[in-house]
Amino acid sequence: MTIPGFILRNALRNKRRLLLTVLSVAVSLFLFTVLQTALRELTQPATTEEAALRIVVRHKVSLGNVLPVKYQTRIERQPGVAHCMKLTWFGGIYKDRKNFFPQFAVDADQLAYVFAEAEFDQKQVADFLKEKTACLVGKKTMDRFGWKIGDKITLIGTLWPCDPEVTIRGTYRGGIDETNLFFHHDYFDELMNRKGLVGTFWIKAANAEVIPELMKNIDAMFANSDAETKTETERAFVLNFVSMIGNVKMLVGFICAAIIFAMVLVSASTMSMAVRERMREIAILKAVGFNGRQIFGLILAESFGLGAAGGALGIFGGWLMGWYLMNVGNVAGITNGMFIKFEVTPHIMAGGALIALALGVVGCLLPAITAIRSSVLDGLKELD
Amino acid sequence: MPEPIVQIRDLTKVYQQGEIEVLALDRISLDIVASEFVALMGPSGSGKSTLLHIIAGIDRPTTGQCVVRNTDVASLNETDLAEWRNQHVGFVFQTFNLIPVLTAFENVELPLLLTSLSSHERRQHVEAALELVGLADRMRHLPRQLSGGQEQRVAIARALVTDPTLLVADEPTGNLDAHAAADVLSLLQQLNRQAGKTVIMVTHDPKAAAYAGRTVHLEKGELLK
Repeated sequence: MTIPGFILRNALRNKRRLLLTVLSVAVSLFLFTVLQTALRELTQPATTEEAALRIVVRHKVSLGNVLPVKYQTRIERQPGVAHCMKLTWFGGIYKDRKNFFPQFAVDADQLAYVFAEAEFDQKQVADFLKEKTACLVGKKTMDRFGWKIGDKITLIGTLWPCDPEVTIRGTYRGGIDETNLFFHHDYFDELMNRKGLVGTFWIKAANAEVIPELMKNIDAMFANSDAETKTETERAFVLNFVSMIGNVKMLVGFICAAIIFAMVLVSASTMSMAVRERMREIAILKAVGFNGRQIFGLILAESFGLGAAGGALGIFGGWLMGWYLMNVGNVAGITNGMFIKFEVTPHIMAGGALIALALGVVGCLLPAITAIRSSVLDGLKELD
Repeated sequence: MPEPIVQIRDLTKVYQQGEIEVLALDRISLDIVASEFVALMGPSGSGKSTLLHIIAGIDRPTTGQCVVRNTDVASLNETDLAEWRNQHVGFVFQTFNLIPVLTAFENVELPLLLTSLSSHERRQHVEAALELVGLADRMRHLPRQLSGGQEQRVAIARALVTDPTLLVADEPTGNLDAHAAADVLSLLQQLNRQAGKTVIMVTHDPKAAAYAGRTVHLEKGELLK
């Protein structure tokens, strides 16, 4: 027999309790992994060199407020602006609410420049540019609805009082979100009776160095106007966009904290029961020569193992779910387009593993200290 | 007269029970020489178990000295005391106190896990100890698969396996029937007589005490002359 063998034998003595505890830790870690992954997908847009050059101009008050179209010319004149594109969230319904996918009215001729990392077919882009009611659709949405080039679709406006009828003239892959539909801002403007309203302006900067100055200059230019602007990086913009549906980060953080706290209680309860049942045996161990540090080590290792087993199971479950959603299931379809990917990153898994192991330590502290402090005689009296 | 292996001088033990002080041992002085088999006898509450616990280093005196092989046991800190117990004391309890998830072999091996012995050396020691108590054929049995007498013999093997200075037994036959009790007492006697082990046994049973070479009587915390 070895010390690790002795620890394992102790851990396995009440198999039902061990199984239930490992499962409760596993379920908690599974939830933690899934929530962290969901939060990441919501708050972290793809970071590519192209994305790093994009900045977004929106109304200073909120995304719900629109900007006048005349701002575009003034923005384009700013030093460091390579491209400037109107981009307005349409948010319409295709046949049924459950068929959600993102739709945007954009400056058709700027799209391929601003989102240059996406793979466009030049012939299809040319067709798209030629026809005012044409649209480009991401590969995933094309696949989801079984659309093909030439199909006509109608989007029913919910935010805007118009129902664009568009013809698919092309598709794109990679880079940006593959579920988007882009149609001509001119067409949108026409349907809106030429009111000249724009949701946001997306700018492609000439290089990364000019971005801080450019952002400052744009906001300064429209300061004290009827529609003051807030210019921010694409990443900051997406974070703000997510915050429109509430403080998701705080909510997820709160849920994760509650999960971790519950796990600590479960682990501490299990270890307390295990130690309380074994007070007499711990006294025997002390009597035959085990010192306080060694007793603490035995309890810690058992608790650590419990946390590690549950953590590994839960994190693997989370990873498996992410893998399934990305490779077998249709994550965009299931989540109505809220998530494009569901990637359980090594960073999230490492975070979960650390929590599981820390849980093993914290959960056993109180029972271990009780075990160390009790005298041999007190322990021997437990059954007498 | 050989040099005493245990020297107890003016030993007093006072327990605090709430606001009341209970005098468990009152200025006890006692010498035990090597290879002696001493029975500590007395009625309940006489302090015999308390004296045994202090000698074995699982309790501390309030005043006085308990020196075992030139070590003042009370002067050791908890960590040193644990190591000292591992090297110098083998315990036999009334309720056997075997670890239920470990086999007889593993229970006996337990104190040796704290030593620097190799796995092979540990195996040799354990097999020798179990052979000595007549349980070589029960090595792979769990405690629940053994009779009370066999469990106590495993406990004796566990106490012996480190070759301690003292073998201390607290009412070792209290949970056994007459036949098993006689077996266990004969075994302790045999270990004392043939292997030269120093045995200190607490009992209130005169028949059990008869197996010892010397009987020390205690009453109300005092040693009777």
